[in-house]
Order: sequence, then C-alpha cells, then structure tokens
Amino acid sequence: MKALCWTGVNEVAVEEVPDPRILNRQDVIVRVTASSTCGSDLHLLDGYVPTMMAGDVIGHEFLGEVVETGPDVRDRRVGERVVVCSIIGCGRCRNCRAEMWSLCDNSNPDPGFLETLNGHATAGIFGYSHAMGGFAGSHAEYVRVPYGDVNAFPVPEGVADANAVFASDAVPTGWMGADIAGIRPGDVVAVWGCGGVGQMAARAAFLLGAERVIAIDRLPERLEMTARHTGAETLDYEEVDVLDALKEMTGGRGPDVCVEAVGMEGHGTGAQYAYDRVKQAVRLQTDRGLPLRQAIHACRKGGTVSVLGVYLGFVDKFPMGAVMNKGLTLRSGQQHGQRYIPMLLERMAAGEVDASHLLTHPMALEDAPRGYEMFKNKEDGCVRAVFTP
Amino acid sequence: MVAKRSLGLAALAAGGAIAVGYRRRKAVRPGPAEWFAVTVDCGPEELSGANRPDALGRLTEHHEVRITPAPGGRGTEIAVHAADGKVREEVRALKQFLETGEVLRVEGQPEGHRTVLGRAAVPVSRQLMRRGVR
Ligand SMILES: NC(=O)c1ccc[n+]([C@@H]2O[C@H](COP(=O)([O-])OP(=O)(O)OC[C@H]3O[C@@H](n4cnc5c(N)ncnc54)[C@H](O)[C@@H]3O)[C@@H](O)[C@H]2O)c1
Ligand SMILES: [Zn+2]
Ligand SMILES: [Zn+2]
Repeated sequence: MKALCWTGVNEVAVEEVPDPRILNRQDVIVRVTASSTCGSDLHLLDGYVPTMMAGDVIGHEFLGEVVETGPDVRDRRVGERVVVCSIIGCGRCRNCRAEMWSLCDNSNPDPGFLETLNGHATAGIFGYSHAMGGFAGSHAEYVRVPYGDVNAFPVPEGVADANAVFASDAVPTGWMGADIAGIRPGDVVAVWGCGGVGQMAARAAFLLGAERVIAIDRLPERLEMTARHTGAETLDYEEVDVLDALKEMTGGRGPDVCVEAVGMEGHGTGAQYAYDRVKQAVRLQTDRGLPLRQAIHACRKGGTVSVLGVYLGFVDKFPMGAVMNKGLTLRSGQQHGQRYIPMLLERMAAGEVDASHLLTHPMALEDAPRGYEMFKNKEDGCVRAVFTP
Repeated sequence: MVAKRSLGLAALAAGGAIAVGYRRRKAVRPGPAEWFAVTVDCGPEELSGANRPDALGRLTEHHEVRITPAPGGRGTEIAVHAADGKVREEVRALKQFLETGEVLRVEGQPEGHRTVLGRAAVPVSRQLMRRGVR
C-alpha cells in the first residue's frame, strides 16, 4: 500500500510499504478514508521529537472503515465507519478505567525512553515516534488499530466525514482543555493558538458555560475563522501587547482560565523569543515556552492554566513564582479522547459541534508532502490538510 | 538520544551542587535499583495458588518476588529482585497479560524504507526502550 513516511528533518515522502496485518487478537484493521495533519506533527517534522526513524509512517487523526477484526474483538464489525482516537488506550488498566486514557499503562510497549526522560511513559500514539510506542501512522491506505473495541468509534450516519475526522484528535483535545480547567458559568477564558485545537477549545469553553472567550494568534485568516465559527473575540499578538490587552479586557483581574494550545514551537516577538530559539536549536532547552509563560502571567489569581500544547522535555524560565504566588492550578495532558468522543459525535449529530471548517485543504495522499509544506508554513490559509488515499 | 543528552546537561546545571552535597553526607553512592516493581490492577488472590499465572511461576524460580496488596485496595504490587533487562521485559509483559489478556506487539507493522543503519537500529532501540535503563 501507499503511506507517508518521515524520512528526515523536514522531509516526508510517499512510499510503497507492506499492508498492516492483525498482530494482536484485539486488533482491527481500518481502511483509511481521511487522515489529517495536526500541529503535533510539526514537532516531528522539525526534529524535536527524538526516536523518529527514517521509514516511520506518520499521521494520527483519522477516519475509516473496519475491514478486518481480530478473534477477540467483540463490538466492532467489518463495514462500520469509525473514527479512531489518536491516542491508544487498553481500556483495562487503572488509568483507562479512571478515564485518563492517555495515561494508559499498557498501550506503549516500549516505555523506557519516556521513563528516563519523564519518570513514567505516556500511552501509545499512532505515527508518533518510537518513544510513543512506534505505531505505524494513519497517512496510509490501511492502519492497524490495537484494542479495536475501545479505540474505534462508530460514526452516526448524519455526521459527514469532514466533521467526524476531527473527532479523533482536535475536537476531543480542545474539549479536554476546557473540561479539565473546570470552567464555570460566567468565566472569561483566554485561548492561545487558533489552530484546530485552540478553535475547538474556544468552542468547548462556550458550551461549558464561559461567558467570554478571547482567542490569541497572529494569522489573520485564523483569527477571522475563530471569531466566525466559535464566537470568540480575538487578539493579534503582533498588534497588541497580549498581557496589557487581557488585563484591560478583564477589568484588571485576568482570565479565569487560560488554555495554551500552541506547544513547543510557540512563536513570539522580542528578546525572549530569540533566546528560546537559540537555546532550543542547540538543545539546551528542548521546548520553547513563550505562550505558556504568557498564559501563566495573564491568568487571574487562583485561576487555572490548561496546557494542551505538546511539550516533551524542558522549558526555560518557567514562571514558578507566578504559579506559586498567584495560587494557580496547572492542568495538562495528552488528550483522553475515549472519554469524550461518543459525546462529541452525538453533539456533532445534533449540530452543536462542527469542526468541518478546519478542513481547508482536502488532498490526495500522493500530495501529502506538499500538504505538510503548506500546513507547516501556514500557506494559503491552511488550517488542516486532510489526505484521502 | 538528543533529549537524553540535554537531560544530563540540565540535571548537571540545575542539580550539580546539591547532588554533591548530598553524596558527601551520605558517604555511599546509591547503587542501581535492586527491585523492579509494577502494580497490576487485580487482587492478590489472582496471583497465588491455582490462579498463579505461569509467567509469574517462572519468575519466582530464579528471582526473589514480592507480592503485596497496593494501599487502598488499588491493585497488587509485584516486585522482582535483581531484575535485568530481560526480566524487566517479562514483568511488563506479565502486567499487560494480566490486565488485557495479551502482550501488545509492534513488530511486523508497515514501515517504509529504512537506511542500513536504521534497519539495525530499530530492533536495538526497541529492545532498549522495552527494557528501560536502570
Ligand atoms: N494534548 C493533546 O493531546 C494534543 C492533541 C493535538 C494537538 N496537540 C498540540 O496542540 C498544539 C496546537 O495544535 P494545532 O493542531 O492546533 O496546531 P497548529 O500549528 O495548527 O496551531 C498552532 C497555532 O498557534 C499559533 N501560535 C504560535 N505562537 C503563538 C503565540 N506566541 N501566541 C499565540 N498563538 C501562537 C500559530 O500561529 C498557530 O495558529 C500543538 O502543540 C499540538 O502538538 C495536543
Ligand atoms: Zn494531533
Ligand atoms: Zn490502559
């Protein structure tokens, strides 16, 4: 079959690879019908995720049809249209049973690297390096899905592919960012990053009761899209001083909840940004953290900072003083998609959640290298390029 | 391995002075961890008598194994003494098997062209990460 492989820093290529087969009794094989780019892939492309090897198939946000089921699969059926959670859970360990699926104990068979780096390992993730389990990704004609019963979700008939595909990753991630922050009616929520994840966090914040949502980015087309589709107010961080603007907009209090949906390649202005870039380039820090610092600085006393952007190692100048002296609550995590996907599919069917506008660039899998180039450089208003094999 | 190098660097930069002081007071350097432990989401009774899984039986033949109920009834701790890499891999597999009924495999998945170096490195790094360093 054809698949998109990582071949080196900022290099991907469509290659002919063997078809996947059932390797475990609870596996299902899915024929991919749509597979999306995600901001997390940029960390792979840029070479900030170690343990990538040339030849690894990437892609983790996808939709397809079940074509084969292992002998111990009970609920999934051949022919079902399913969306698959980007992060793999086993459904049986204590963390999965507590609905903290991305902390699964069993879905990452090779946890050693992350144990050394972080103390403990994260769950397995499709197409996301050998440290995350070394699972072949979804930018391919077929993909093997471990523990098929708990990771693949049938899509209700009325929900279009262009909407359902994002129930794999961007929508549940955004939802989780708002949910774990404990948003209460009347809250003011600020969201850094107007990519798919940030937009979905803004939407979720409103649905969970926020009265005002303020979204921050610099790309005019994304700011405009966020305002139009989520109802958030927007700030262009190249036009205004974000910290001053947020203080003014919240009567000096600061937002009750700050959601960071940018991650370790956060862009910025000024000396701090230059400092971060240099240190990251020479690997003195692994992750750049400007928007994270801003979120902590801006947050009201006693508020919550919810970090969705992916960090893998260390951020310099982490403002622990602000966390401590303002009594902040810090929440974070890779997404616990399995906890939210059934509810989100229902909301999609009911018209309450619609992510289809994120799909700005439908493309053939053959054109995926070009798709990544556009997505990475944010060319032509690209928010998500979605590949069809 | 880039992140690992910077991990070392960061630790050196941040904790160097403290670590030295600590060592001087303790006089002895802590050796490598002697026990490798996992917690399995089942009751201790599922690990003993007729219920005892074969893999656990085999482990006890060559290793001291400690089985303790976790506090608060939150599963059972299995600790194995003097576990080398191979044993650590077996203990992880045992947990997976007890909780999910099988041991997850990643070998045999689709992959694109590997460089000569990559072809050699993938199984080696997999084994390293499966076993973990200690
Ligand atoms: N926690 C999870 O499970 C999970 C899941 C999916 C994605 N993510 C992460 O969420 C982040 C966003 O993902 P995405 O797909 O929306 O990515 P994206 O690249 O499409 O969007 C990121 C946005 O952040 C903006 N940005 C950069 N610097 C900024 C700054 N200083 N202030 C405000 N905005 C800034 C960019 O202009 C861009 O629009 C990434 O780090 C990704 O890895 C996490
Ligand atoms: Zn993603
Ligand atoms: Zn689990």
